[in-house]
Amino acid sequence: MKASVSQQHLAHGLSMVSRAVSPRSTLPVLANVLVATDGEDRLRLSATNLELGITCWIPAHNAEQGSITVPARTFVDLIGALPAEPVQMTLNARTQTLNVRCGGSNTDIKGIDANEFPPMPVPDLSDGIELKVADFREMIQQVAFAASAEEARPVLQGVMVTVNGNEISLAATDGFRISVRKSAVDHAPSRPIAVIIPARALSELARIAADGEQTLVMAVPNGRGQVIFHTKDSELVSQLIEGNFPDYKVIIPRSFKTHTILTTAAFLKSCKQAEIIARESNNVVRLSIKPQEGQPGQVEISAQSEQTGSAEVQVDATIDGPQMAIAFNVRFLREVLDVIKTPSVALECNASNTPALIKSVGDEDFLHVIMPMHLG
Amino acid sequence: MRKILHLDLDAFFCAVEELQRPELHGKPFAVGGRPDSRGVVSSCSYAARVFGVRSAMPMSRALRLCPDLTVITGNYAAYSQASHQVMDILRRYTALLEQISIDEAFMDLSDLPRDGRALAQEIQAAIQRECKLPCSLGVAANKLVAKIANDFGKSSHRGSGTYPNAITVVLPGQEASFLEKLPAQSLWGVGPKTGARLAEFGILTIGQLAQAPAGLLQREFGRYGEELALRARGIDDSPVVTEHDVKSVSQEVTFDRDVRDADRLHHKLRELSEQVGYRLRQDNLTASTVRIKIRWDDFTTLTRQETLSQTTDQDGVIYGTVLRLFDQLWLPEQRLVRLVGVGVSGLTAHVHQLMLWDTPAEKERRLLDAVDTLRARYGKKILRRGLEKPKNK
Repeated sequence: MKASVSQQHLAHGLSMVSRAVSPRSTLPVLANVLVATDGEDRLRLSATNLELGITCWIPAHNAEQGSITVPARTFVDLIGALPAEPVQMTLNARTQTLNVRCGGSNTDIKGIDANEFPPMPVPDLSDGIELKVADFREMIQQVAFAASAEEARPVLQGVMVTVNGNEISLAATDGFRISVRKSAVDHAPSRPIAVIIPARALSELARIAADGEQTLVMAVPNGRGQVIFHTKDSELVSQLIEGNFPDYKVIIPRSFKTHTILTTAAFLKSCKQAEIIARESNNVVRLSIKPQEGQPGQVEISAQSEQTGSAEVQVDATIDGPQMAIAFNVRFLREVLDVIKTPSVALECNASNTPALIKSVGDEDFLHVIMPMHLG
Repeated sequence: MRKILHLDLDAFFCAVEELQRPELHGKPFAVGGRPDSRGVVSSCSYAARVFGVRSAMPMSRALRLCPDLTVITGNYAAYSQASHQVMDILRRYTALLEQISIDEAFMDLSDLPRDGRALAQEIQAAIQRECKLPCSLGVAANKLVAKIANDFGKSSHRGSGTYPNAITVVLPGQEASFLEKLPAQSLWGVGPKTGARLAEFGILTIGQLAQAPAGLLQREFGRYGEELALRARGIDDSPVVTEHDVKSVSQEVTFDRDVRDADRLHHKLRELSEQVGYRLRQDNLTASTVRIKIRWDDFTTLTRQETLSQTTDQDGVIYGTVLRLFDQLWLPEQRLVRLVGVGVSGLTAHVHQLMLWDTPAEKERRLLDAVDTLRARYGKKILRRGLEKPKNK
């Protein structure tokens, strides 16, 4: 193998794949990045932890075909320290050593035979669904954070992705909140899709699929338990999570007593202010929703901590319905308000101990349900 | 130098009863359970004490000692109200108030310029004037000596048949000479068991304990031995802990005979976890950290703790964590266990995140709510876990 690439392309490609590296695996090759020529003008970089695999292709001049795996940490640190000049890589196949030259620097890195690297599936993209990168990335950002971080129930660590006809929907829940986002797809798949994809894999996809103008293809090959996302110059393969996702649609309330409309930015800012006190006491904030006759109402957000102190923040709101006192985990409020794109947000509730709904005003495709906190 | 006061209301329940029924004044009477239902004496008048009646004694025995004893079943609401009134008076002097029980409290009055005896007299007079209740006070530079001083002062009145109304002051520097002659068991943490072990080495008084070779105490009692030696010299730097500082809840048990059987230990740990959970729920608190304590038969003591991802007041969560910690410590057949304890810390006012759908945790919470309600109404023993069912006689 003999290849020449730009230092920036190489550094960028490594930053994409290195998140899938598994540094403490019992399988040493999983701590490595696969570097392989692909034709005459592309270099392939791959990493996998067996659950998540990421590949990207960068432009290259390949004088001689070949492949090797090198320790990710050494390689990433080295490339990051090199000047922005062409990088010459030459493999000594006999010693399995990769020689890296750039500017005045000349480094030999000991590798592991590329044959030991787990084979990445060659996807059949013909039945894939084409999605706009920018749209899908927004969907992921609006949903994936609501997935659970705890390993007790694996299905809750995933995002339920369903494609039915021309509609795609993403949903995630950790048992305390649910985030759902729908969108349209141009071409309906030949059969409906319903899979649970690890939230972490989708977050990685949102990170690497940077160019919003592009499209990506999502494919779920039959019976493989995998999902593949393919863009022009990158590919992400993830194991699916098996199990039954909670039937979240029945949990979402259909009617509400108190409807409150707030300015998204003002509500978010108030939550961030209250959180400074609330984070010291279980993240609890109390919302006092106070309608006022003949004029705009107010929402008072308050937090109290035995040690730190107390805070009260007022926000103007349009309120329809009886007044309401309800407590939330302020982090849950902040996280959903962070991903709402519309200028106004609706908060709908029934009682202090039943689920509340948060939605973008003027965008029916996104909704979020939060369970309140119970104060003893 | 600190100025610590220990206050104890004299025959508190009886004194409150006398306020409501003046005809009881000077008569032998006791507050407690009925003799026919195996009741015990909660509090007895000083006139009854002359006959040898003591608290915690079976009421039937008290009646044998003093056949004229009037038995009163007690009005706990009135006692609680009177106690609040007294504690409010104490709070005028300091916010550093540690209430130990309904009729006992420590105060840290180090910031007040007047000397301890004058303050004690003023407090005693104020309680007499405003609540018409007698009390005794101990004054010293630390909690240990203040409490022992007060116990000593009260007991000097024994046999008089009247309320002691004692004030006992131990001046700084005189702790050791004050304690010297007292029996070793007057010290905190020296119960009958430790007392008997000390007696084996000829240590009967606190003075002898203070003179005991450090090596002996350390060999016999491990790290606890050092603490004993310090206490015997009247040294104690434990602070007065106000109610708001309650930082942990714990329960522990010392076995009558040391235990090696893991099943028995599991069983006891579950019981302790349930007691801790109950306390948390009663006080409307949740905890973020669970701790286990094991003392081996050689007195070496280990503690391990784990911080939870969500705060809890649930018996099951506490026990589950305790069991995990226990398994990390336990090597079968390794050693005998003398004591086990379960504790929680990181306490905050009870709040919990509601769930969108029913989970085992939610069901458990509702079950415990129901159990707690029953226990509050009918007593703690009304309900037990199936596996704790007492064996057939």
